[in-house]
Amino acid sequence: MIWQLDISVLSLIVLCAFATIMVKDLLSAAIIFGAYSFLMCLLWTEMGAVDVAFTEASVGAGVSTVLFFAAVFQTTRRVGIRKSGRMLSKAVALAATLLTGLLLLIAEADFPGFADTLTPASLHVSPYYITQTLHDTNVPNMVTSVLADYRGFDTMFETAVIFTAGLAVIAILRRVTKDTPFAPPAPYIVSEGYPDTIIRFIARQLVPFIQLFALYVVAHGHHSPGGGFQGGVILGASFILLAISYDFKIVLGIMNERWNVLLGSLGVLLYAGIGFLCLLLGANFLDYSMLSKVLPATDTVMARSHGMLGIEIGVAIAVMAIVVSIYLNIVSHGKYDKGL
Amino acid sequence: MDIIVIGLTIAGLAFFFATTVGILRFPDFYSRMHAAGKGDTLSSMLMLLPLVLYNFHEANLANLLLAMKILLIGVFIFMASPTATHAIVDAGFEAGAKPWVKKPEDEA
Amino acid sequence: MDSFFIGIGVALCFIMLLTLHRAIQGPTAIDRIMGVNVIGTKTTILLVIIGTIYHRVDMFVDIALAYALLNFIVTIAASRYFQHHKNLSPRGYGYRFRREDD
Repeated sequence: MIWQLDISVLSLIVLCAFATIMVKDLLSAAIIFGAYSFLMCLLWTEMGAVDVAFTEASVGAGVSTVLFFAAVFQTTRRVGIRKSGRMLSKAVALAATLLTGLLLLIAEADFPGFADTLTPASLHVSPYYITQTLHDTNVPNMVTSVLADYRGFDTMFETAVIFTAGLAVIAILRRVTKDTPFAPPAPYIVSEGYPDTIIRFIARQLVPFIQLFALYVVAHGHHSPGGGFQGGVILGASFILLAISYDFKIVLGIMNERWNVLLGSLGVLLYAGIGFLCLLLGANFLDYSMLSKVLPATDTVMARSHGMLGIEIGVAIAVMAIVVSIYLNIVSHGKYDKGL
Repeated sequence: MDIIVIGLTIAGLAFFFATTVGILRFPDFYSRMHAAGKGDTLSSMLMLLPLVLYNFHEANLANLLLAMKILLIGVFIFMASPTATHAIVDAGFEAGAKPWVKKPEDEA
Repeated sequence: MDSFFIGIGVALCFIMLLTLHRAIQGPTAIDRIMGVNVIGTKTTILLVIIGTIYHRVDMFVDIALAYALLNFIVTIAASRYFQHHKNLSPRGYGYRFRREDD
C-alpha cells in the first residue's frame, strides 16, 4: 500500500467519475468511462490484488467499453432530456443517492479496520488457505485455488450466469422472421468494410499472438495472475479486433450464432461434467481428488491441480463464445447485416 | 547501473512531460495528435528500458524471461501505438475536423 | 531506489491529470479518444513501475501486456465509429434514434 500513489490515483478516479456524468455526449461519456476503468485497474494493482486487476483490465477497460461503443453506434449520441418534471426527477435521484451513501457510511462504522488481524476471517479462514493451498492442491496461486477448488460451486454458477447473459442478449435482440437465414454465411468472404491497409495489416499480424497470449493466460493461471475468465475475455477481444479492422461478416463466417451458443454451452457442460464425473467416481460434486482414478499416474494432490485446469478451460471456452456473441448481437442490433 | 537507470527514467519522464504540454497547448486536433502519437511511443520505449536493466541484476533464466516479457511490451507498443494514431487521425479526417489556420494579424 | 520509483509514479499520475484535462475539456469527441489512448499507455508503464516497487515484477508484467492490447483495441473501436457516422458533435434535440441516412 503506497499511500502517495493511492491518493493520486483515487483523485484521478473521482475526477473521471464526475466527468462521465457531466459530459453531454454519450460517446464521450463512454470514452471517459473507459479511462475510469483503466484507472480502477491501476488502483487494484496498487493494493496488491492482481487477479482482480487483470479481470478489470480485460473486462472493464477492454470489452465493456467496446460494447458501450457498439450500443451508442446503434442508438443515439444525444442525451434524452424530458422538458417537464426535470427538477423533480433530479431531486429524487439526488435524494436516493444521498440516502444510499449515508446508509453505507453508517454500516462502514461496524467494519473491522483495514488489514486487522483479529477478525474471524483473518483468524480462521485465511491462515488455512495460506498454509494449506500448496499442500492440498500443488497450486501456488491462492486466488485460483480458492476460486476453482475450495469455492468451485460459485465459479460454476458464475459461468452459467455468463452463458445466461449471452442467451438473454440473443433473446432480446434477435428478431427471427420467415426470411431469416439460419445457415451460416459462406466462408472466405471478400471483405466489404472500410478498406484501411495499415489497420488491416497490423491486425492480421497481431491476432495470432493475442490468441497465443490468451491461451498462455489460461494455462498459466496456476502460477501467475490469470485463469479462465481473463484468458477467455482476451480471446473474445481478439475476435472483436478482427471484426473491427476487417469486416463484421468475416467474424460471422467463423463464429456464427450456432457455433457461439454451442461453444458457450460446451464450456458450462465441461465444468459441470467434471463435477459430475467426480460424483460418478464416488466423491462429492466437484471434489477433484477422485479424478486420480481416471487420470493416469497422478495422486490426489495433482488430480486437484489437473481438475482445476480442466474447469478453467471450460470457463475460457464459454466466456470467449459469449463475449463474441454479445458483441455481434449488440453491434448489429440483431440483424447481422453490418457492424462497427 | 543505478545511474543509467535513473538517467533513462528521468529522460523518459521529460519526454512524457513534453508530450503532455504538446497535447494541452497545440491549437488544433491534428497537431495534438502529432505530439501524442510520436511522444507517447518514444517515452514508453525510454521508460521500459531502465525497468529491464533494473530487474536484470543477475543472469539466471527467470530474469531473462522477465526481461524478454518487458521488451515484448515495448515491441507491442512500438507496433500498435502508431497504428492507433493513424486510426484516430483518419477518423478525424473522415468526420470533418478542420485544420487550424493562422489568422492574418491586422496592421493597425 | 524505492522512493525514487514512488516519486516517478506520482509524477506520472500528475502528467495523467494534465492529459485528463484534455480528455474532459477537448471540444470534440476525437480529442477525448486521443486523451484516453495516452492515459492507457501511461497506465501500462505505471503498472510495471508498481511491480518494481513491490519487488514482484513477474506478476505485473502479464497485466501490463494485456493492458496495452486492450488499449489498442478500444482506440481502434472508437475511431471506427466515426467512419460510419461522420459528424463530430451529436445532432440537436429531437433525434431519438439514428436514421439510416448517414
